[in-house]
Amino acid sequence: MKIIEPGDWQRTSPLAILFFFSQLIRAIVKNGWQGLAPLAALLLAYKGDLAEKVAIAGFGFAVVTSLIALLNYWFFRFQLTEDSIRIRQGILKRQQLDIKFDRVQGINTTQNIVFRVLGLVVIQFDTAGSSSDEGNLPAVPESFAESLRKRVGRRRGQATETPEGTSKLDPLLRLNWRDMIYIGLADRRVYVVLALLAPFIEKLGETRVDILENYVRDVAEGTMALGVGISALATIAVIVGIIGIFTLISIGAAFLRYHNFELCLEGNTLRSTGGLLTRHEHSMELGKIQTLRLTQSLIQRSLNFYQLLARQARSSQKNSSSKNFVIPRVGVDQAEHLRELLLAPEGSGLTQDPASDRFNSISPFYMRTRILLNAVPSVGLSTLLFTTTGNAYALLFLLWIPISMPFVYLGWRHAGFHFDNQGFVRRSGLIGFRSVALLYRKVQRVTVTQSRYQRKKELSTLRVYMASGSVKIPYIPLSLANQLRDYTLYKVETSKLAWH
Amino acid sequence: MFQNPEIAIDDLPNMVDLDWQSLDPHFVRRLQVEHGLTALASLAGATAFSVLVPVPPFVTIPLWVLVVSFAIATFAWPGISVPRQGYAVREKDIVFKKGVVWRSVTAIPYNRIQHVETSNTILDRKFGVASLKLFTAGGSGGDLKVRGISANNAERLRVFVLNKIGASIENH
Repeated sequence: MKIIEPGDWQRTSPLAILFFFSQLIRAIVKNGWQGLAPLAALLLAYKGDLAEKVAIAGFGFAVVTSLIALLNYWFFRFQLTEDSIRIRQGILKRQQLDIKFDRVQGINTTQNIVFRVLGLVVIQFDTAGSSSDEGNLPAVPESFAESLRKRVGRRRGQATETPEGTSKLDPLLRLNWRDMIYIGLADRRVYVVLALLAPFIEKLGETRVDILENYVRDVAEGTMALGVGISALATIAVIVGIIGIFTLISIGAAFLRYHNFELCLEGNTLRSTGGLLTRHEHSMELGKIQTLRLTQSLIQRSLNFYQLLARQARSSQKNSSSKNFVIPRVGVDQAEHLRELLLAPEGSGLTQDPASDRFNSISPFYMRTRILLNAVPSVGLSTLLFTTTGNAYALLFLLWIPISMPFVYLGWRHAGFHFDNQGFVRRSGLIGFRSVALLYRKVQRVTVTQSRYQRKKELSTLRVYMASGSVKIPYIPLSLANQLRDYTLYKVETSKLAWH
Repeated sequence: MFQNPEIAIDDLPNMVDLDWQSLDPHFVRRLQVEHGLTALASLAGATAFSVLVPVPPFVTIPLWVLVVSFAIATFAWPGISVPRQGYAVREKDIVFKKGVVWRSVTAIPYNRIQHVETSNTILDRKFGVASLKLFTAGGSGGDLKVRGISANNAERLRVFVLNKIGASIENH
């Protein structure tokens, strides 16, 4: 294997062309899908020998994209220096990235099936800074990624003391095919899709009814009742069908993303690998964790599992989701164990189990505000509509008030917090749960807010800003909020440990 | 060496008797000028509307009431809100307060500030005030902007905070 030494500018493997090609296709699909409808219309309207034209266009497209991918590869160089990696890229617009090792939060790799056979990976650097120093290094040997990880670890002065003999560590967590099914079943995107399709399903139900009704009328004397029954059945069948298809798709997606998921802790670095065709490897230093969130949606609740997210510092421009370290399926005991490991030596008392009796509830006056927030708009809307149109249906908006009440109550029941001398945990959720644990010393700033009403009741809302976003505890006594704030400031101001 | 001394909650410094610095009094006038200009523009718009478009008085009268009361409210508001804003500089952090209906107190430790910036608009310069912006990690949600500090104080604060950041880095 070629050893990569600091100093010289070099190319990656020619197989990087594959990476550039797929990146290009992805960019075209992402930016160009709006153009598909007009294109299809144009093709449909076109008269003449279409097949040949399409073939020529397709061939031309393939040649041009391949050529661009080739040029991308040709112009791509990288150089390793003592404390950074430099990347030069771009065909028309030349760009040089300088990725400093001490700003790298994690080195993530992906490996598609071709790369896996050949032992190559695509490296993606995760930095806390602006997007300008986030880059990809395609098609480099696995061993290079490994040496880079070591180098970054050394550079940060947190020598990852991996015992040399034991190269393969016992994983903290391993997910099997059953877990994939659970993850797929709990994928909420199914319901988003269903909500988007709702109007069409309704339409579908109606058209079905027309066809069926005519058919029934032909055969015998169709009645209206039968028609309604068939319509309802058809609609239910369509909904069940769609849910079934999308559930299968999301189970498939879970396999693609997390198949053979393994979580390891090597020194101070948490690492996960997983994926069916493309293998993803994520790594993150424990010190980078800003908050730990344990979440459970309604479906996850009925299937009795949680998702654990370790959030890192958010960069200013990029989307924040890439900064999350995801553990897609954990039981509550596993989650507790992981939290103790990940926040060690602090945070052992910060239980995130939503059922824990350590949680204190927030003031019930919280509900009054929520009720007003729900009631005022619906009263306003129904009065406005009723006075302008005179239609009694406008009063249906008032129904929102009793409908929202149970949710307001649940929101209060599920809200909670507990704290010790190192951090606090905030629990929230309407029908699911979310509990967020954080350490005081990693806080960036603190705000205590009081509304007019809260002042009357001597209550307040505490909000702490982390580098990964803010966490608030609403409706707690002012004296407690002030104490927590003063203690947080004390912790931050006396802490000698880095927050990132 | 990791140390974890026990701390009595009552011994922690609290924020009860802070020496609050108020914003520059000129800032009220400066906001009133800005809001007055906006109000004038909307008055002009309302006039043009009622002259050009033949609308019955039951539309124009509520419109006028709305525009005039809005203009008065925005004109009066700075006089109420600005005196309730302020900042306090402490040894280890800087504290800001604001709010009439929702009152909030925000504290930023110096060892979390990434950089500081002062800025002023033409109108700010006319009234000798400036804005101070403190950046902490965590994207746009992590920034705190305080408007209406006298230009002198803003510059002094900027230099002061900058020195504090430097000191906290050296101690690391």
